[in-house]
Amino acid sequence: MAHTAHDTDTHHGHDHAAHPTEKQYWMVFVLLVALTAVEVAWSFLGAEGPALVIPLLVMMTVKFFLVAGAFMHLYFDLKILNGRLFTWAFFGAILLAGAVYAAVIASFRFNI
Amino acid sequence: MTDIGIPVEESAAFIAHEQELVHETGHASSLGLSNTKLAFWLFLGSECLLFGALISTYLLSVGNFVGQVVAGNPRVLATMPAEVMNEIVEKGSVNSFFDIPFTSASSFILLMSSLTMVLAHKAVSEGNYRGTKIWLSATALLGSTFISGQVYEFTVFYREGLHYDGNLFGSAFYTLTGFHGAHVTVGILMLVALLIMAFKGKLQADRAETVEIIGLYWHFVDVVWVLIFTVVYLIP
Repeated sequence: MAHTAHDTDTHHGHDHAAHPTEKQYWMVFVLLVALTAVEVAWSFLGAEGPALVIPLLVMMTVKFFLVAGAFMHLYFDLKILNGRLFTWAFFGAILLAGAVYAAVIASFRFNI
Repeated sequence: MTDIGIPVEESAAFIAHEQELVHETGHASSLGLSNTKLAFWLFLGSECLLFGALISTYLLSVGNFVGQVVAGNPRVLATMPAEVMNEIVEKGSVNSFFDIPFTSASSFILLMSSLTMVLAHKAVSEGNYRGTKIWLSATALLGSTFISGQVYEFTVFYREGLHYDGNLFGSAFYTLTGFHGAHVTVGILMLVALLIMAFKGKLQADRAETVEIIGLYWHFVDVVWVLIFTVVYLIP
């Protein structure tokens, strides 16, 4: 199958998915600040054990994905890569790294 | 026909088009993103491993340290003032050592700097060079404020008896937050370099990707702080 010049247009940086507007960036920032405020307030409420740790970890994860997805444009760039091998490799590597990290920490925690 | 079955004329047109795009954008990638950006993501992946290792080391070291303090190991107890150790024994964690309101303010400053960084990228992409200079300056200033706060925090901790070579907690804490601070400092230097380019008129819309890549680094540093703030400062 012959490649034409027109076909290759979609393979270049030219077809970036639209990045957020200035207003959307401000909204993400407000959300991040609000989550940080809730995190700090939660840590002062006196909850202990899982009741303290799990909500904090959830809020941390949401903040992580907000910064990576919106500010680092990962959400928009992955749209371009959707369905390609790279996307699978990207998420596969994240999953593998997370699993290895959890296994190492668990080996210390449970003295395996 | 070429070896792979493409008519010679079409192949030549394809190559010419590729070269034209490379000339226009400075990159070409069959993945849809520029090679520079992909390479930078790869670099950030290696940085994840570095900070993952540092955070894990901190968690394991602090657990060990608190265990030793609670068990009353005299060699560990001698590494910090008695009142600090008593508080650690009483609460079963080192978190009483931290000034959470102060660190929260630092977190706010770093989050704000991420916003100003994306606004700088947006401004340069749209050819708004005055806006680019303003937002880049704001980012560098906010980053410097964060670093000043970290230096102040380190000074306070040192005076309270937490030394780098004192115990596991001190070593792990200063190594983790120190590495993060060093990354922020490198980010500030890159921002200053961008500002110099902007003031010399060398930062035009065609260099927007350079700003985006330095922005990626800056946001990565912010993301790492999001993890450190919760895992080190908030979770006992």
